Amino acid sequence: MTKLTIPNDKPLMGKIIAKEEECEDTYKFLIELPIKAERALPGQFIMLWVPGVDEFPLGIAGFEENILEIGIAKMGPGSEAMIDKQIGDYVGIRGFFGKSFKPIEDVNHLLIGGGFGMTPLKLLTTTLLEKEKAQNIHVFEGARTKGRLMYLEWFQELHDKELVNFHVCTDDGSYGYQGFPTVDLEKFLQESTSPSVLYVAGPEKMMKVIFNIGKKYPKVIDMQMSLADRYMRCGFGVCSYCAVDPTGWRICVDGPVFNTKQLEQISDFGTYKRLETGEKLRI
Amino acid sequence: MKSYIKYLKFSKAFQVTFNLSNMSLEARVGTLKLRNPLLLASGILGTTYSTLQRVYEAGLGAVITKSIGPRSRSGNPNPSVFALKDIKSVINSVGLANPGYSVFREDIGILIENKIPTIVSVFGENQEEYVEVVKGLQDLPILAFEVNLSCPNTEKGGTQIGTDPVAVKEIISALRKETEIPLWAKLTPNVSDILEIADAAIKGGSDAIVAINTLKAMVIDIQTKMPVLGFKRGGLSGAAIKPIGVRYVYDLYEHFGEKIPIIGVGGITRGEDIIEYLLAGATAVEMGTSLGVAYPENMIRFFQMKIKKYMKEHAYTSIQEITGGAHK
Repeated sequence: MTKLTIPNDKPLMGKIIAKEEECEDTYKFLIELPIKAERALPGQFIMLWVPGVDEFPLGIAGFEENILEIGIAKMGPGSEAMIDKQIGDYVGIRGFFGKSFKPIEDVNHLLIGGGFGMTPLKLLTTTLLEKEKAQNIHVFEGARTKGRLMYLEWFQELHDKELVNFHVCTDDGSYGYQGFPTVDLEKFLQESTSPSVLYVAGPEKMMKVIFNIGKKYPKVIDMQMSLADRYMRCGFGVCSYCAVDPTGWRICVDGPVFNTKQLEQISDFGTYKRLETGEKLRI
Repeated sequence: MKSYIKYLKFSKAFQVTFNLSNMSLEARVGTLKLRNPLLLASGILGTTYSTLQRVYEAGLGAVITKSIGPRSRSGNPNPSVFALKDIKSVINSVGLANPGYSVFREDIGILIENKIPTIVSVFGENQEEYVEVVKGLQDLPILAFEVNLSCPNTEKGGTQIGTDPVAVKEIISALRKETEIPLWAKLTPNVSDILEIADAAIKGGSDAIVAINTLKAMVIDIQTKMPVLGFKRGGLSGAAIKPIGVRYVYDLYEHFGEKIPIIGVGGITRGEDIIEYLLAGATAVEMGTSLGVAYPENMIRFFQMKIKKYMKEHAYTSIQEITGGAHK
């Protein structure tokens, strides 16, 4: 029987059925789970167990029936051990955790991401394409250089087929325009006359900058940002290592996606996060 | 007519809720008065002041922080917490990760400023470390220190100390000399005779006994043939351990009676479980695992309503009257 989502349980062992280099130091994996589920929502995450090494939160790039797509960049011993895995190997999956992006109808959908943040935005794009008009979907991606642009081919192809508007840039100008995604974003916001919703995922510092830009424009009716880049142990709201001040919201259950109203109440947004000891670390 | 019946039903439900909401759930642990007997167990939602404040405001009687040691500690590698769905439980091997008392003072300070009744769980690897932590925090108006003598997830300290009655007595009496703040000894179930350990804690000067901490447990993945927890071994909490906790509380109450307050903890997932612990002999209860849900606020409200309904049905007028009710 197909379940709505996979159960919150010990790691569910999935078999790696495909692996390819997505961009520099970043790999795409397809993992076959032993049970079927109806869906994973864009913005939800999994806890990925690399047996014997580590377990960490990771965004979901795609999910269909029992095939999970993830994208993973080299960022430490856990991710490196995952990248060393081969087709046929097993890894553990817990999830799908957290609250998702909640698209609002009949607005400009502005998806802005950097680095690993592109993973949930890929699933969000897939979801939006099912019911929204192509001309309303705008994806803003930036990276240091062309080789670091995640899902470049995928987004570029959608753009060429006129299914989304892909605004791409690099710091060194090796692809798209030279500069940050905020340049095109501000340009779009200045020129557009209709309401927009921002969906953002990536480093928290970048999100804070975008949040401050978004606040300047009354036509930005909501900003939904994923704070998934925090230390987590449980993923389902018992350990509280990912909790934010002063509201006590747990990113894993009450988030990771928060809206404008919520983000305004989170004092540590873009300022500090908690380490695995519970100590604060300036972002 | 239909709407009139609906109105009657609604108004009856409203009256019941209204009557119940006026009932007092005040609890006492020794000399301490609490607005109700529901406490947050240490280790759950207790890493930041903000989650502690959130669950207190949702209706708990007091909150207990994550165990705090002498210095910052990263704990064990992940996986360190996951659910075991078939037994409605959770296994963990967090291993006393904490920022150290000097850093955590800031979070405790905010709680106290916001008038949250705060109990601080403390641990050490030896007597000197326990004393150092209590010494470093005892100037704050903390409600009580819960002395964690029972964490199963460390190489040294914790369970090792908690299974040795001589060490337990020595640590509690050393802390007793250091502070006037009430001391609650949290015991491990991983012993052959809990009464002996409790007796040592009482002789050392403990003001209450907290039973139980998690049970030693382990999960092995049969596909990769590997222990799943990063630390390999862990502790079990949640519904599976409730009958064990109830049994320990019953044994402790039968042996010590009203000589020492007992706080029951382990596997509370329903209001009925709280009543069971009280009947076994607890004066208050702690819960943790069950609050790991989307809306802990609703859970706490349901628990309170259930206790009030039970008190009404069984003509109890106070929590104290329920304590030990199963010992006839």
